[in-house]
Amino acid sequence: MAVALVSLVSGCTSLQSSATEVGGVRKTDERPVRDGGTLTVALNSDPDKLDPSLAQTLVGRTVFAGMCEKLYDIDENGTLVPQLATSLPEISADGLTVTLPIRKGAKFSDGTPLDAAAVVTSLLRHRDLPGSARATELGPVKKAVAVGSSTVRITLDHPYTPLTGVLADRAGMVMSPTALKKYGKDFTNHPSCVGAFRFVERVGGDRIVLEKDPNYYAADKVHLDKIVYKPISDGNVRLANLRSGDVQIGDQMGPVDVQSALTEPNLQLFNSPSLGFQGIGVNVGNVNGLGEKPGKIDTPLASDVRVREAFDLAIDRDLLNTVVFQGMYEPACGPISPQSGIAPGVKPEDCPKRDVAKAKQLLKEAGVKLPVKVELKTSTTPEQGRVGQVLQAMVKEAGFELSLRPTEYTTMISETDEGDYDIFTSGWSGRLDPDGNVSNFLKTAGAMNAYGIGDPDLDKLIDEGRSISDPARRTEIYDEITKRVQDDHSMIYLYRQKNYVVASKDVAGIRVFGDGLVRVTNAGYIR
Amino acid sequence: MTKFLLTRLRQSLITLILVSIVVFAGIRALPGDPALALAGEERSPEALAAIREAYGLNDNIVVQYGRFIGHALTGDLGTSSRTGLPVSQAIGQALPVTLELAALSLLLAIVIGIGAGVIAAVRRGKPEEWLANAIALVGLSIPTFWLGIVLVLGFAIAVPVFSASGYVPFGTDPLDNLRRMVLPSIVLGSGLAAVVMRQTRGAMLDSLSADYVRTARAKGLSRRAVVGGHALRNSLVTVVTVLGLQLGHLISGAVVTEQIFVLPGFGKLTIDAVFTRDYATLQAVVLCTSAAYILINLLVDVVYSVIDPRIRLGGAK
Repeated sequence: MAVALVSLVSGCTSLQSSATEVGGVRKTDERPVRDGGTLTVALNSDPDKLDPSLAQTLVGRTVFAGMCEKLYDIDENGTLVPQLATSLPEISADGLTVTLPIRKGAKFSDGTPLDAAAVVTSLLRHRDLPGSARATELGPVKKAVAVGSSTVRITLDHPYTPLTGVLADRAGMVMSPTALKKYGKDFTNHPSCVGAFRFVERVGGDRIVLEKDPNYYAADKVHLDKIVYKPISDGNVRLANLRSGDVQIGDQMGPVDVQSALTEPNLQLFNSPSLGFQGIGVNVGNVNGLGEKPGKIDTPLASDVRVREAFDLAIDRDLLNTVVFQGMYEPACGPISPQSGIAPGVKPEDCPKRDVAKAKQLLKEAGVKLPVKVELKTSTTPEQGRVGQVLQAMVKEAGFELSLRPTEYTTMISETDEGDYDIFTSGWSGRLDPDGNVSNFLKTAGAMNAYGIGDPDLDKLIDEGRSISDPARRTEIYDEITKRVQDDHSMIYLYRQKNYVVASKDVAGIRVFGDGLVRVTNAGYIR
Repeated sequence: MTKFLLTRLRQSLITLILVSIVVFAGIRALPGDPALALAGEERSPEALAAIREAYGLNDNIVVQYGRFIGHALTGDLGTSSRTGLPVSQAIGQALPVTLELAALSLLLAIVIGIGAGVIAAVRRGKPEEWLANAIALVGLSIPTFWLGIVLVLGFAIAVPVFSASGYVPFGTDPLDNLRRMVLPSIVLGSGLAAVVMRQTRGAMLDSLSADYVRTARAKGLSRRAVVGGHALRNSLVTVVTVLGLQLGHLISGAVVTEQIFVLPGFGKLTIDAVFTRDYATLQAVVLCTSAAYILINLLVDVVYSVIDPRIRLGGAK
């Protein structure tokens, strides 16, 4: 069925089917569109700063997709393709010098020409600006210089293969040097990049308005006059606005809302599997807080891998997906999505199956007192609550007594970073390069290793994965990393979300790819 | 009158200062680090440290409070840690929305509430009273969120007369403005209308059975003059008090209504600020709301000292 749908999608250019298929993948709609019109996109929250160096949110990336192009992008297969660069980077044999050819003839929205010097200015700002969220990603960049007007040469401290993937995200966005000079820290209120649309205004909490940029190098392929991004946090309200026609695109729709949208003849559904993961993090050694040396925790779950394995074996990932998400997400058991263009991970059908008998046996061997009491910290969303309840019922059969503690998101992050938890629902929106899904979480004292994992062999593998460029060897390494994490059960991967985007049926040309962004560059109203 | 006003102003100012301290401390007592909320998904220790430094979160709370008040007195309410926009700008954009919503809801509540209350009192024991009471009970019992969704389904989707969301300033397009504001005003005003109706009815019943009304009737005044001129005027003191108190509820009710109808007002600003631990915005919003609340109470005092001079004399003693 899924294969049939995929071939239908890729082979068929006029996709006029309505929001009728769930389970398949539908990333684009290539019907011809007319020029003109305003498109309103409902986002699930208000983006943070519109400054590529400082921005942190996924919704912010969606807005950037309309106005800030990057050196590289991904295509619908999750493969890296050039955007403001003209080809993939040339990497020296020792892996320490990276050469980027830059597009000629492009202009920023304020009219400043794009050149190698502008790229260097942006790269160094991303790396050095105090509070930059890009500093870690670009940490290995030692030097960046312009060689002539259209070549950038980057020198690295050590070989760093994920760089190209990083440059396909905000670290690869190039900002107008004129605007940076003029506005400095206030660039966030006057963002100026190379893009199909340029910034017009922002009313905090209400809207961000972009208009077609006549300076854009491919302006003839841009159809819409205006894009309005509106934050509407409630899924129900987002759907009501889609139905009433007040908005034309609803981003990040939950499975329940998608099911309702399916009954609506005027709406269509797009979706793509995400590159991220959702699961349960076990506190195996976080006694001193994030970034500190792991210590010893004296609970059955933390101290005995057999107990964790029993917990893992008690979970039926397929059933969890069916009950909580109407089967609209994908079961997962590793950090890397099988959709990843680089070193794809474990397919859902290859995940371990539920085995309660074996789980009970393992608990018996571990000699723990039954039931094993565990507290699960979840965020307060209804979905997370249901995940908790389903897990509670599943693991009970193996001998666990799971209690739930719903905690407001920011508080939960504070507490879990400090190590104040047994287990918690841990998730990540995903990165193109597998390293982005692995190193911060699994490396000893990694920036997001709230689990307290400290395994020198794993660290070595992660470092090797970051530094070599041979794709075959990288695949082997990430397979090995996945296997180690699976055997350790410190992070129990459960499912991968899908990016569901509901759009009005008279809109075509939008693109929904694995990075979860809605691309509107070529969108428009059908003829 | 001047002395009465000065006394009440002084009291209001002291209240406002106390509120600012409580708000400031309360917000900082919220669990969850604002730097974490701000750093979002990607939180490296370096980024967290830089955020704390940039927003002065490392200073002790007294220093932070002093800085906040110092800036606030010069009209600088700070910068939103999330969007990087000036807080005063956000408030300037949100204020007209909430004020319009509150004003329309209040108007609706006064017209419907007082009208229905008077009818219910005058037509005591008749079907009109029963109907008015039943409607008031429904108005009080329906949850705002549910009413909002039902109205959107009915009048923005099934029969698209009104708009489901968004705000257009009245000056830009009056018709579109009303198209967007009618449903939220009904949602927000309905509960208040019910309260006003019940208060009006009760006060009117008291007045109508009072001696001065009987005297007025005996003098042969018209029914209209008796009900409107004598009974209603005397009943309004209670109603105005209740309206004043309920205005506070109107502001808090706006939080939910603005979420449903995606109105970029104070309520939405507050909720967003809470979830992102945007201290600067949150304390400014709460402080402004408190100031409005205090001001409303002051106005209520003034208004009913006008309606009933005995109150003013008592307060000035």
